[in-house]
Amino acid sequence: MALPLVPYHIKRLARMTDFHGYLLPLSFSSILEEAKAVREAAGLFDISHMGHFLVKGPGARQAINRLITSDLEAVPLGKSLYGLLPNDSGGTVDDLILASSGEEELHIIVNAGNREEDFAWIRSHLPPSLALLDLSIDQIALALQGPASQRIVALLSRGFETMGRREVRFSTDSWERIWVSRTGYTGEDGWEFFGPAEAILPIYRTLSEKGPDLGLVQAGLGARDLLRLEMAYPLYGQELTPEKTAFDAGLDFAVNLRKASFLGKEQMVEKREDPERERLTGFVLTERGIPRTHCPVIDPSTGRQVGEVTSGGHSPRVGGGFGLAYLDPSFFNEFMKGKEAGIEIHGKIHLARFSARPFVPGGLTKK
Amino acid sequence: MSSERRYTPTHEWIQSLGEPSLMRIGITDFAQKEITDVVFVELPKIGKKVPQGAEAAIIESVKAAFSIYAPMGGEVVAVNSDIESNPALVNSDPYGAGWIFELRVDDPAQWNSLLDEKGYQALLVSGTGGGH
Repeated sequence: MALPLVPYHIKRLARMTDFHGYLLPLSFSSILEEAKAVREAAGLFDISHMGHFLVKGPGARQAINRLITSDLEAVPLGKSLYGLLPNDSGGTVDDLILASSGEEELHIIVNAGNREEDFAWIRSHLPPSLALLDLSIDQIALALQGPASQRIVALLSRGFETMGRREVRFSTDSWERIWVSRTGYTGEDGWEFFGPAEAILPIYRTLSEKGPDLGLVQAGLGARDLLRLEMAYPLYGQELTPEKTAFDAGLDFAVNLRKASFLGKEQMVEKREDPERERLTGFVLTERGIPRTHCPVIDPSTGRQVGEVTSGGHSPRVGGGFGLAYLDPSFFNEFMKGKEAGIEIHGKIHLARFSARPFVPGGLTKK
Repeated sequence: MSSERRYTPTHEWIQSLGEPSLMRIGITDFAQKEITDVVFVELPKIGKKVPQGAEAAIIESVKAAFSIYAPMGGEVVAVNSDIESNPALVNSDPYGAGWIFELRVDDPAQWNSLLDEKGYQALLVSGTGGGH
């Protein structure tokens, strides 16, 4: 699907890649340089592929709250919330960012690859009195990320720089249906914008023309994936799947068991009690190599496969190859206590040790 | 044989080092752009015999791992140790300091099976290249 900013990226000679059927910039200069710029100054990402829904009508918040793991009722208007959408066996349909734009109005940001499935799932679980709209068509979405973001967002002269962390503003003027939030997926300070192409294009133009003076670079999906993996943020389809619960992925913080019941809650809790369930862990290689998704994890003392890499990469900040893997519970316990694991890469075993998550401190974790 | 460079559809280049059977191999500028930031190169062992078209090295980039195939068959006689300490040379100077390995080729006639500059450029334009 052609997204509105593609011609701009091609003009900048971006290396383009296919992501769930969308043509997106993989990198503009170098993935490592773009990631470094986001940690030290700022990067601008085109995230127009992300899905954006609006739920409208009486009881919209309560109805959506019955479908997600976190508690929308506990979040004031104007704040965003991270949560998961469980399926009826406790696994995961998607992970989401939500925010209310009014008493009877709620915006939901979903993953590109799940947009249609999420829409169908949510629609089938909402009463007919509620409207569900897909605002993703002809949308531009941007993520401005990095420690210089606050100075850069001030270039828009809209007062966004005074927003608090996770605050969301919905414009009430002619810029209808614009979502502006102080959020992101990199571990750094930053802002995200979602709205109709004609409303966001001026923001893109201002940021890309004036931002470079304050250290802003255009950044692609390659840097975005590396930055999220350095923070150990989950990616749907890798750490999160229809089989894996929020607990399996270590996202306990996003589950509120005290709130009004939600779909899939009992199944999630039941799965949590299963002594055989696999557990997600962070690891770093102790020798040269780059782990990738689906690399087998081997117990070096038995040669038996004890898990699989879900995401892997190389980061100068981490100091080499690193990643996330699901491990059998018995091996997980030994690994946590210091036993080395073998990661099979191109048929060779590379030793790895446990690493706490996040792998590097982001600008937000330092504070 | 001249110092002309020839190419494979999988985006390796090969060039004679003056001696007719001594060849240097690397990846093209197109390939280094596709591969993105090279993190390290798994170099072949000196003395290894590789048939034409066989995997001879692996380039690991931030993006993915890429196999490098021998454009001609032969014995590996040298590897570029500079790219072990500075893998970014493969990106910054793919036809020069970023070369990968050298072969003593078995059959100089295999040269004729390779793409010349014009043929390789035509391949890039038609977008039918494979491998990387």
